[in-house]
Amino acid sequence: MSTIETRERRGALRGIGSSQTSTPQNLMVFVLSMALFGLANIILEIIPDVTVGPVDVSVSYFVFVPLTLAALLNPFWAALGAPLGEIVFTDLLMGDFSGLAEIEGFIQMFLAIYVAGSLVRDPRSRPQIFLGAVVLVGVDKLLSAAVDIGKVWVGVEDAELVEGLPQSIVLLEGIGFGVDVVMSGILFGAIPAMWLIPALHGRIEPLLGMRPRVPGEPRPGSVPRTGWFVVVAVLAALVSFVFAFLEAWDLSVGTVDADFRDRFGDGFLWVAVGALVAVLAIASILFAVWRRRGDR
Amino acid sequence: MRDDPVVEAVDLSFRYPGADADTLRDVDLTIRRGDFVAVVGGNGSGKTTLCKTFNGLVPHYWSGEFAGAVHVAGTDTWESSVARLSSSVGYVYQDFQNQLVRPTVRDEVAFGPVNFGLADHAERTQEALEKAGIAHLADRFVWQLSGGQAHLTALASVLALRPEVVVVDEPVAELDPAAAVEVYERLSELHREHGVTVVTIEHHAEFIARYASSVLLMSDGAPVWHLPTAEALARAGELAEHGIPAPQVVEALARLGVEGVPRSPAEAAALVRTAESRGALRRSGPRTEPRTRTTPAPPARAVAAARGVSHGYRSVGGDLQPVIDDLHLELLEGDRVALVGGNGAGKTTLMRLLAGIQVPRSGTVVLDGVDTRTERPHRLAERAAYLTQRPERMFLKASVREDVELFPRSRGVPDVDALVDRILDRVRLTAFADRDGRTLSGGQQRRATLAIGLAMRPALLLLDEPTASLDVGSRDDVIAMLAELSGSIACTVVATHDMHLVAEWATRVVVLDGGHVLADTTPRALFADPDVLARAHLVPPQVAQLGTELGLDPLPLTVAELAAHFTTVPLGVPA
Amino acid sequence: MSVARVQRDVLSVEWVKLELIRTAYATRGGLFAGMDPRAVVGWYAAMALAPWFTHNLTTVACLFVVAAAAVVLARVGPLVLGLFVIGLVLELVYLALAATLFGGDLTAVVALLEVTAKLGVLSLASLAAFVSLDPEKLSDALLALRFPPAVAFAVSYGYRMMPILVEEFATVMEGYRLRQLPPQQRGLLGWRVVVHWAVVAVKAFYPIFLNTAKSVRTTVEALEARGFTFATIDPRGRAIRIGSLRLGPLDLAVLAVTAALVAGCYAAGAQWPLHRS
Repeated sequence: MSTIETRERRGALRGIGSSQTSTPQNLMVFVLSMALFGLANIILEIIPDVTVGPVDVSVSYFVFVPLTLAALLNPFWAALGAPLGEIVFTDLLMGDFSGLAEIEGFIQMFLAIYVAGSLVRDPRSRPQIFLGAVVLVGVDKLLSAAVDIGKVWVGVEDAELVEGLPQSIVLLEGIGFGVDVVMSGILFGAIPAMWLIPALHGRIEPLLGMRPRVPGEPRPGSVPRTGWFVVVAVLAALVSFVFAFLEAWDLSVGTVDADFRDRFGDGFLWVAVGALVAVLAIASILFAVWRRRGDR
Repeated sequence: MRDDPVVEAVDLSFRYPGADADTLRDVDLTIRRGDFVAVVGGNGSGKTTLCKTFNGLVPHYWSGEFAGAVHVAGTDTWESSVARLSSSVGYVYQDFQNQLVRPTVRDEVAFGPVNFGLADHAERTQEALEKAGIAHLADRFVWQLSGGQAHLTALASVLALRPEVVVVDEPVAELDPAAAVEVYERLSELHREHGVTVVTIEHHAEFIARYASSVLLMSDGAPVWHLPTAEALARAGELAEHGIPAPQVVEALARLGVEGVPRSPAEAAALVRTAESRGALRRSGPRTEPRTRTTPAPPARAVAAARGVSHGYRSVGGDLQPVIDDLHLELLEGDRVALVGGNGAGKTTLMRLLAGIQVPRSGTVVLDGVDTRTERPHRLAERAAYLTQRPERMFLKASVREDVELFPRSRGVPDVDALVDRILDRVRLTAFADRDGRTLSGGQQRRATLAIGLAMRPALLLLDEPTASLDVGSRDDVIAMLAELSGSIACTVVATHDMHLVAEWATRVVVLDGGHVLADTTPRALFADPDVLARAHLVPPQVAQLGTELGLDPLPLTVAELAAHFTTVPLGVPA
Repeated sequence: MSVARVQRDVLSVEWVKLELIRTAYATRGGLFAGMDPRAVVGWYAAMALAPWFTHNLTTVACLFVVAAAAVVLARVGPLVLGLFVIGLVLELVYLALAATLFGGDLTAVVALLEVTAKLGVLSLASLAAFVSLDPEKLSDALLALRFPPAVAFAVSYGYRMMPILVEEFATVMEGYRLRQLPPQQRGLLGWRVVVHWAVVAVKAFYPIFLNTAKSVRTTVEALEARGFTFATIDPRGRAIRIGSLRLGPLDLAVLAVTAALVAGCYAAGAQWPLHRS
């Protein structure tokens, strides 16, 4: 940044501002991402879903909203805010809260937005934006399809013995995945994003007191040590599966010890509470790790 | 007194990240403890940025190029942090509604002390609630509050940290006049009784004259001067240059050749009487006939009419809250109607009903000969245009031009480009046609919404608070533009708190109170009617107040009309 | 269209906004509104986990009834309940279609029905617990359970912002409705109209992004100035917040009754077992 003034400033220059975003600016991206993605979800919640045959062809989310914030401002904080907005605004309030599956959804969405946002290196490049939107939906839906298939396997006793069930699940998930990529990824993802991101580039940043991104410069909010981040991401993905299967836990607990269950019916409440506490503890540790990473 | 500074800036310069010029440039400034400072200056003079250096938002939050130093209560802000400085400086924003982050008033006020983990948080909260005079609202939800109450809640929430300095950014901008006076009275009490240093950013000379003890004039990112209020107001010409015209009474006395800088109409009246008794001033009949409503000879066409209209909304509790109650009103061609009344009197609801955006629960609204119940809203939009109070809510597109052409183009109006060019030229925005409306200044934003309305080519144009949060220069600009429109729009209705707008522009005033029409009259008759003024909480322009004090008839609505009541007697000539 | 326009009190944007406020701030009262939030979270955990320990359809059905009763006691509003019921019905339709598509064997449906019913208990429990829980209390409970402050804040701020955002969206949509003419030909099944509104709904985000960015800036500055970040480092603020939480007799009674009912469900399951063949 050059100082083009006719006369020199009198005061001694004490700081020139860093290209990294500051903590409050991160907080701002986080809050913005949460609020806007939450709003998008409310809108979708109120619009009735359309199902054609067994396949849901409705739009699952407006991915262009978090993608825009991730591409223009800061992928890490946008990725952290958006799934939380979904949980807080729609799932909790609209009674869609699905307990542990929320954590699984959070991790999937976080990874998807972060990866997709990082792919968009030049906010004015439409091919990159297209790729970002499709990858976002791809990552999220692939993870959740895998989890769903696994859940039925674990959740239904002897699932493989039920005639036609495994095939129908895999087929339905496959079709659903394709529909989601087209509907959410392209029609309501890539196409709006290819218009919105260049339109907002240079306009939204000054409102937040930030400098518009210049293509190719080190992005704010990208992870300094990529290797370490990949390790955490893989761990997070694994954890997301663990959470998913915790929900369908009944296989092990349900078959073990029928007598025990009969004798101590409500004793299981405490088992349940204990399990929840354990899960919350893990979640807190994860959150704490993320926050410390985000502060850097 | 200069030896006890609470805020001291030395060689301060600041540039926002990505900007190509400094917003603040070589600022040297001292604010002494216990002062009540009004910061004035045109749009873009750096007032708000300067005030954000006091609580450390600049440079800790906005990390741009920062040079020089600011000391607050002896602490160098560069060495400190926003959190630590918040116990020295409290900041109330212009858009204070966004400052409220908690659901209830008490939670909101306690937020600061609880975050800092202060053991006496409960006492601080109670104390701040009482200082702001809102202890009785403590358990309300913030979305139940009126604008004035919300502003006082924002004030209480910063007072809870017991700051030495309170900065209030343009309290008048978003509040109705009665609420603005209430806020200033509270600030004045804090200043007098609790020794709090108050800094306000203010465009309105009346408030400066009445409450401030010193005035800081900013221009191009640096202070021009910082003077006691009386001296500052005496420099009327210089203030006017920076968009702060002198209070009307000051201007009026200058016009009459009477010495002195009055701080209120009562003071001005006393000065005029003294001049009269000395024989320097003599009353005469008004030389020019004051402007009266010219009633056209043929009965004018009714552009819109409300007959027995009632309307209301469901509250959170589920019950129906009436807003408009059995209202009758007929708007005629050629009318320039000002719709006045306190907040919650039903002005906005009535305008939305007249525009056909909503339909009344009972009664009928006839717009340009069409019952609004029988036509879809987008068809009624071809007859009436409603411009919202917040201009940014009307900017749907990425440029002013696209916003203006949205309506005519989708309706297949022939030769849209020429129409849009003509309208943009008329509101003097041709140079800004490709900018996003949100990046324009307040006055330009208003003109842009006006252009959107004009492109709809309506018979009835409805504007909600078109002069709110404008500095005086931009406001006069908007009023002049409204006056020019009379040729192309059959009837214009303006909902407003701005009595200058009423006095200078309107030919007819409709006073709403509790969903009824309290009075339907001319501005001159309204300002001469103390009962209606008191019931609707209206404060006439200073020149009309001065006219009332002096018993002038007909009541003057402008300084020129007041001057016409008097003859100045040259010195040395016997009366 | 010759249908006369009237002011509608339900199924309008204003109604949705009011419903959200009523829901969020538990102004309807209800059983859980008066309880300690930690007890409510505990109750939820118990109800949410209970169905997963069995494959006995009788038990699952009983639990479903208990959860539904809790929803009634919690006085859940019509909007939220309506959305839930629509979701459940669609799920059942989906299952029936899936069954017909893959050979008409009902065992697969019953298997999936079991999972659906379990998820239904979960949804009903979360409806009752979280929907009637004041977001401030929920936020305090999350703090007490050692969630990071940003999450606790997000919960309370999200609820406060939502009606404002919904209104902002409604204003922008109204602007488009008045200023942009919808297509004159509706097309097959009104597809032109659907496309028109889909495009408008997306375009509405341009002004909403910018307007929200502007207001969020003030909010975050104000948060910063009142020690929000400070509170994430300093534990004293948290201590004050959660210091006001108290377990009362009502909490214990509700938890005890719930425990008894859950035990009862299992007992009923043991008495009249019904398993998928």
